[in-house]
Amino acid sequence: MYTPVTWTVGWLGRILMQVAFFGLIGLLLQDPEAVRYLFIGQAVMACVVETFMAVASTTWERLSGTLGLLVAAPGALWPVLVGRSVQWLPSGIATSSIALFGLGPAFGVRWHPSTAAIGLCLVVLTALTMYPVALSVAALVLRGPRWRNVASNVSHTLVMLITGVTVPTTFWPDWVQDLALGMPLTHGLAAIRDVQESAAGWDRAGAAAALMVGLGACWLALAAAAFTLFARMGRADGSIDLRD
Amino acid sequence: MTAYAIELQSLRRTFDVRGGAQRLALDRVDLSLPTSGVHGLLGPNGAGKTTICKIIATVLLPTSGRARVLGHDVVRETATVRSLLGIVFGGERGLYERLTAMENLQFWCAMHGMRAGPGRRRAQDLLERLGLGSRAQHRVETFSRGMKQRLHLARGLVSDPPVLLLDEPTVGMDPVSARDFRTVIADLRAEGRTVLLTTHDMDEAQALCDSVTFIDNGRLLGTGSPAHVRGMLGNSRRIMIDDVDAAAAGDLTGVLDRLPAHVRARLQIRHDPADHTLSIEVPTETHVIAAVMSAVLAAGHTAVSAAPPSLGEVYLTLLGTDAQGARRGMEVG
Amino acid sequence: MIRAIGAGCAHQLRMMRGTPDWFLALFTTPLLTAVFLTIFQASARQDLTTYAVLAPALMALWTMSLQTAGELISQERENGSLEALLAAPAPFAAVLFGRIGAVTLVSLVAFVEAWLVGWLLTGAPLPVPHPVLFVLTVAATTWSMTGWAGVMACVFVLARSARTFQNSLSYPFFVLGGVLVPVTLLPDWLSWPARAVFLSWSADLLRDSLDAAPVVMAGGRLLIVAALGAAGYVLSHALLTRTLRRVRTTGRLAHA
Ligand SMILES: Nc1ncnc2c1ncn2[C@@H]1O[C@H](COP(=O)(O)OP(=O)(O)O)[C@@H](O)[C@H]1O
Ligand SMILES: [Mg+2]
Repeated sequence: MYTPVTWTVGWLGRILMQVAFFGLIGLLLQDPEAVRYLFIGQAVMACVVETFMAVASTTWERLSGTLGLLVAAPGALWPVLVGRSVQWLPSGIATSSIALFGLGPAFGVRWHPSTAAIGLCLVVLTALTMYPVALSVAALVLRGPRWRNVASNVSHTLVMLITGVTVPTTFWPDWVQDLALGMPLTHGLAAIRDVQESAAGWDRAGAAAALMVGLGACWLALAAAAFTLFARMGRADGSIDLRD
Repeated sequence: MTAYAIELQSLRRTFDVRGGAQRLALDRVDLSLPTSGVHGLLGPNGAGKTTICKIIATVLLPTSGRARVLGHDVVRETATVRSLLGIVFGGERGLYERLTAMENLQFWCAMHGMRAGPGRRRAQDLLERLGLGSRAQHRVETFSRGMKQRLHLARGLVSDPPVLLLDEPTVGMDPVSARDFRTVIADLRAEGRTVLLTTHDMDEAQALCDSVTFIDNGRLLGTGSPAHVRGMLGNSRRIMIDDVDAAAAGDLTGVLDRLPAHVRARLQIRHDPADHTLSIEVPTETHVIAAVMSAVLAAGHTAVSAAPPSLGEVYLTLLGTDAQGARRGMEVG
Repeated sequence: MIRAIGAGCAHQLRMMRGTPDWFLALFTTPLLTAVFLTIFQASARQDLTTYAVLAPALMALWTMSLQTAGELISQERENGSLEALLAAPAPFAAVLFGRIGAVTLVSLVAFVEAWLVGWLLTGAPLPVPHPVLFVLTVAATTWSMTGWAGVMACVFVLARSARTFQNSLSYPFFVLGGVLVPVTLLPDWLSWPARAVFLSWSADLLRDSLDAAPVVMAGGRLLIVAALGAAGYVLSHALLTRTLRRVRTTGRLAHA
């Protein structure tokens, strides 16, 4: 899909421009603090955006007509679909890291080698734990593959809205804050901000990591259950080989 | 005005291919097709049939030479030519799958400058005529291949064109659809339209065409009425005997071997084990035919027919072997 | 000519029916409006509400046109209908602009969406102090957007590799078009090229039309939007002629 050149110029360029676009909002606010806040939020968000490509790529299996074969195969369906879209993770992690550590200093986001190392680990973990969230959306979309791109974009924009990417979660009413707590991104991003701003150490990161791994596991279980349910419903109503 | 519907004069077309080389797709083609009638253009894949159609249809420029439609030059009088032509490029592609049959035709009516009202009536008429009236409001993606091809033909007819180009319109069609299709073509012919039909189906050409032209490697090999083209094979008849298995074929050959030597020497016997048929090519001389027929009948075979060679055989003879005499893979009849 | 534009328009609307992807930008517009608005609310900058409402609408306009432009000609080719379309008497350019125009018109729904979300989140409908200027600017913007989408349609066809970068063309132009941050705030080396992008003039005018203060030089600035749009039509006409000639001489649409 991407060659090294098109990835760099096309995808990376696009995401870096998106990050810069949000960073520029800080200019409008005439507030260097806001520039940094928005920049870090978008930079970390970049890997989530890419993770959410899994929503679309999971349905490719259905569109290419192989889903029926997978359902008919002896093994469970969910491990296959979980493995199906991991290709987005390395690219997402690379994009976020280049934005944070490469472009960051231009926006006043500075790093020490030690904070950068912790930051990088947290980015990796964020991508890994948000992936099952995307898979859960993907399981829903399998019922209506036409909606894959809409679902992917709407869901990641919703995530962006409430998880502290653009405004602190405390801005929202309590029930929205509670929802945000269920997203691994909320915790990963908060930890990255702490590490960058106040040079918080491995203990701060470790606490966030434990929470993220726990949440990620829950989401993975949810996604697996949803995939299994999809296969069962598909067999019942004969919709599995229907192409949309 | 010339009397010709389609006139090609030293038409040449080359394509640039990778590595700077050139491929000659058409090599000085001269062809004049009179108005009205169905004209077949026959040749294997890659012969240049589609290239000819595209040039006439104004979507491709000739490298040199000229092409005229009802006397109008395809390069200089593009707009006039476009209004005179209906085009059907073969296969199932080229329709808007998500739209209904009606919406497809309405769009093409508009593309031919028709207003919405007359366009709708015209579309409805065409759908009825091609047996799609009951499916007018269905999306094309639900259509079978044969239905799509009929819709293609309807599309080619929206502007009521005097000249129609049909590029392999029946390729991949099931036999029933193909038969219906032939009826429609015969109707178009009866209306006095000129149809240029490219195909590699010999039966189709034989059933439909007033003239046939053979093309291979961008060159015309011969043109004329089907009877005339058959005549190019020389004066011969073909005696076909059905229900002949391998053993019976051996017996029959034995019987024929006992004919007088001067008769036997002029027979070409071919057995097709798949079809269980034995064909004997004989010169058109009454006494030879009579001798062979009576020998065959005497041997107990009654499923016997004698006819001139089919276009398929002409095709095989004209195109079936290359310079080295090797058989080429292609569809025949 | 007019009929071909109309037919293209109707055809496009039918083709879009039942295909959510065409309307992607209309699904994300309300959410993006909320994103921008909440950023300004969190910083207690209610004075920037108009910025937050206009930006997603302009982004939708741009994205939908860009997407259409990228798809239309190549979609016809993949569908196998391009040749018949080229061989039909109707002028191809008219059909093309009819189709792009249909998408641009549909994308105007984003203005309504953003305005409604603005109302919802701020609790009061956003006033439009200069309604005539607003409507004229939207009209001029639609006109220019259609013209430049035509240019992009040809570029995407002539240089097929450009399609890889189709999606990448969004955010750079959101920056250069000043859809959220006025280009006057950009560093000098960026604000000059931004002035060549009609969107930057549109965005400024739209913001001014929503501001109670009198608008300076409204007529002249509108003319600039329209003129930059006209340049788009001239350029796309030249490119389209070139593209179609290429198809007829080489038998191929794109460079290899
Ligand atoms: N656009 C093209 N570029 C290069 N070669 C082409 C092109 N179109 C056709 N050809 C070549 O021209 C020859 C004739 O093709 P065509 O007219 O499609 O044959 P037919 O329709 O009889 O199967 C073939 O050798 C084909 O490969
Ligand atoms: Mg062909």
